[in-house]
Amino acid sequence: MQKLGDFKLPHFFNYPPYFTLQPVRETREKQVQLWKELILDYCRTQKIFVIGLEEEFPLFSNSVIERTLSHEAREAFLSALISEGRAEWLDKGHRRCLILWHRIQDWADIILNFVKDNGFEDSVMTVEEIRSGIESRGTELHGIDRTILMRALKLLEQKGKLAIFKGTSADDEGVKFSV
Amino acid sequence: MRRRPGIGGLQTAAAARDQYRLLGENVAKLRTDLMKEQLATFRSQLEEFARKHKNDIRKNPSFRSQFHEMCAKVGVDPLASNKGFWAELLGIGDFYYELGVQIVEICLATRPLNGGLIDLQELCKLLRQKRKHDREAVSEDDCLRAISKLKTLGSGFEVILAGKKKLVRSVPTELKKDHNEILELAYSTGYVTVDEVERRLTWTHGRAIDALDTLLDEGLAMIDDGHADGKHRYWFPCVSSISSFGADN
Repeated sequence: MQKLGDFKLPHFFNYPPYFTLQPVRETREKQVQLWKELILDYCRTQKIFVIGLEEEFPLFSNSVIERTLSHEAREAFLSALISEGRAEWLDKGHRRCLILWHRIQDWADIILNFVKDNGFEDSVMTVEEIRSGIESRGTELHGIDRTILMRALKLLEQKGKLAIFKGTSADDEGVKFSV
Repeated sequence: MRRRPGIGGLQTAAAARDQYRLLGENVAKLRTDLMKEQLATFRSQLEEFARKHKNDIRKNPSFRSQFHEMCAKVGVDPLASNKGFWAELLGIGDFYYELGVQIVEICLATRPLNGGLIDLQELCKLLRQKRKHDREAVSEDDCLRAISKLKTLGSGFEVILAGKKKLVRSVPTELKKDHNEILELAYSTGYVTVDEVERRLTWTHGRAIDALDTLLDEGLAMIDDGHADGKHRYWFPCVSSISSFGADN
């Protein structure tokens, strides 16, 4: 099996027609399904949060069989993820796409567990600390995309689990947990 | 002999007919008895043989296939019933019913990928993977036998021929001769182009397009427009077995 780093690629990745958007509806549905799973799997294992449609992305082409996904195909696969709440466009031009292998709600739950595990129920942390502090090392929160983290924090704020307060710059936004 | 007139003559003739009939019946009876005896002997011999080679029949696929052939020649079908002597002796019925169920499972599971048409060799390979806990080997012949039993369920399982290759169809699509010829052509590379179909089969453009479009619609073909020469390629998952399509194979 072909590999990308330590990621095992599925068989269909080596089958040329999967790189062409299929015209027949049922065949296309199956094709889209396989690509959705592949994109989510890959992003989860490689900790990729944003895919740029016009940028190089290892899954968008396969040099072994000399096939590349067209822009239309890329957009179709990502749109399918979006319709399931597993991705979001970051811009109106559909050039950058946020990949949510955990939904925002799931990320919020992960944050809550992190808070409880570390006894931060009434503590104050900066957003940067959550992303790259010692406490989050080895957890899924380490290195999380800032946009996703802020969305999850805001969701928790709405539920009254924490309060976000602003510092003088974006770098020192803080969070006061009250779990 | 001069034919004598009167009632006596008629009676004699009737008596002679009776005698002939009786004799004839006797001869026929003797023959049937002899035949029955021979068949009984044969059957007991066959049973003895089966009992003696029970393990070979179970474990060795080619031995099994030859045993089936022998049974077919004398009109015995070991698979006809699961209650008969053969089933009890060999458990052979269960073996094929189990295979049948597993074949249905594989066909259903791969249908989204291959449109309901799978190469027999590929099916066997998947079947062996599925049964790897089992020590008993499974041959293509066994697959074909199990499939022929599935046919009686009317579920549309059928083996079709594309040239020398056998494909197992699990969808009710009726494949025409044109489609089979395209599949046969695709066997070497896994795909065909419209040009290739026209040239190799000496068809008109319309005929080629028509057949290929049908195969696309049925989910048996996938289109690939990514090759550098710009020609559309029609790929057939059922002949290139996408489950084994990878750099490691």
